[in-house]
Amino acid sequence: MADYYHELGWRELGDGEQPNHLLHMARFLIDYGLYEVTFAEQWPRLPPAASIEAVENLKEIIIEDDSENNCPICLKKFCINEKAKEMPCQHLFHEKCIITWLYKTNSCPFCRYELPTDDKVYETFKIEKKRAAKRRENIETLHNSMFS
Amino acid sequence: MANIAAKRIKREFKEVMKSEEVAGGDIKLELVNDCWTELQGEISGPPDTPYEGGTFLLEIKVPETYPFNPPKIRFMTKIWHPNVSSATGAICLDILKDQWAAALTLRTVLLSIQALLSAAEPNDPQDAVVAKQYKENHELFEMTAKHWTNIYAGGPTCICEFNQKVQRIQDMGIDEHQARVALSTYDWELERATEQLFC
Ligand SMILES: [Zn+2]
Ligand SMILES: [Zn+2]
Repeated sequence: MADYYHELGWRELGDGEQPNHLLHMARFLIDYGLYEVTFAEQWPRLPPAASIEAVENLKEIIIEDDSENNCPICLKKFCINEKAKEMPCQHLFHEKCIITWLYKTNSCPFCRYELPTDDKVYETFKIEKKRAAKRRENIETLHNSMFS
Repeated sequence: MANIAAKRIKREFKEVMKSEEVAGGDIKLELVNDCWTELQGEISGPPDTPYEGGTFLLEIKVPETYPFNPPKIRFMTKIWHPNVSSATGAICLDILKDQWAAALTLRTVLLSIQALLSAAEPNDPQDAVVAKQYKENHELFEMTAKHWTNIYAGGPTCICEFNQKVQRIQDMGIDEHQARVALSTYDWELERATEQLFC
């Protein structure tokens, strides 16, 4: 259960902390479909920078074969024995190129695979978006089981 | 201009020149100045759309921070489309804004803009008037878009009825383009367009 609450971004109240009634009200309205969850559908600007930790943990690779691959950011071909950084989606970039990009926004410039960010608001948004998708799925399953 | 931006544009320019689309006459790219900060794009109107047979010019400005920020692109050729401002040519396309990715290139962007001409997004409009007509009076929208393609982009279909109406308003001393905008906005109703122009 602890994981469940954690996933929703909930935690126990601290000493002397009052529950946030507005937040509860908002969740109630959303859960009962009384409020259109447009905010959970899209993030209106480029998502924030990747977290410092995620950037530091990017795998370093030495290019071994003289393939046709180039860095998707500067479009220069990789040379043999050149160092490259690998994203979890396995796309390769020059270190300087990918770090400049991740400092701006958190996703792979090639396939949009998302790294975690240090931005609390954005991380909450991502969880809400997942919840919204899950809710839609539940409703659909329910609907299908009733009408099939 | 920052080194990486200029170097990348040069590489992209070569890539575009070698591409099938350039060979097929679908897209074109030209340099406007020597420092690679400004280019001119050209796309042909896709088949089976009101833009078919037209040639549309695009202004492309490459920021210092390219490719970490998207190029600034607008239509220089006037066009009647829900996602393009009929007044300024500004384009509403996600990859030019919050969906930009550094791996996108001028070639992919030009092809996306061409695809936008085939598949408009009237629910995310740049031009509210055009989007409304697109949704509520689609046939008239297609005729208007064809007419604009004919007049401004060299498209083949002349819509004589529209030309005559524009001429009628021009005869009252109104500028041709202004007359066309008013008529297009008011669903080609001469009276309403005139009223609006003289109020
Ligand atoms: Zn690179
Ligand atoms: Zn990737």
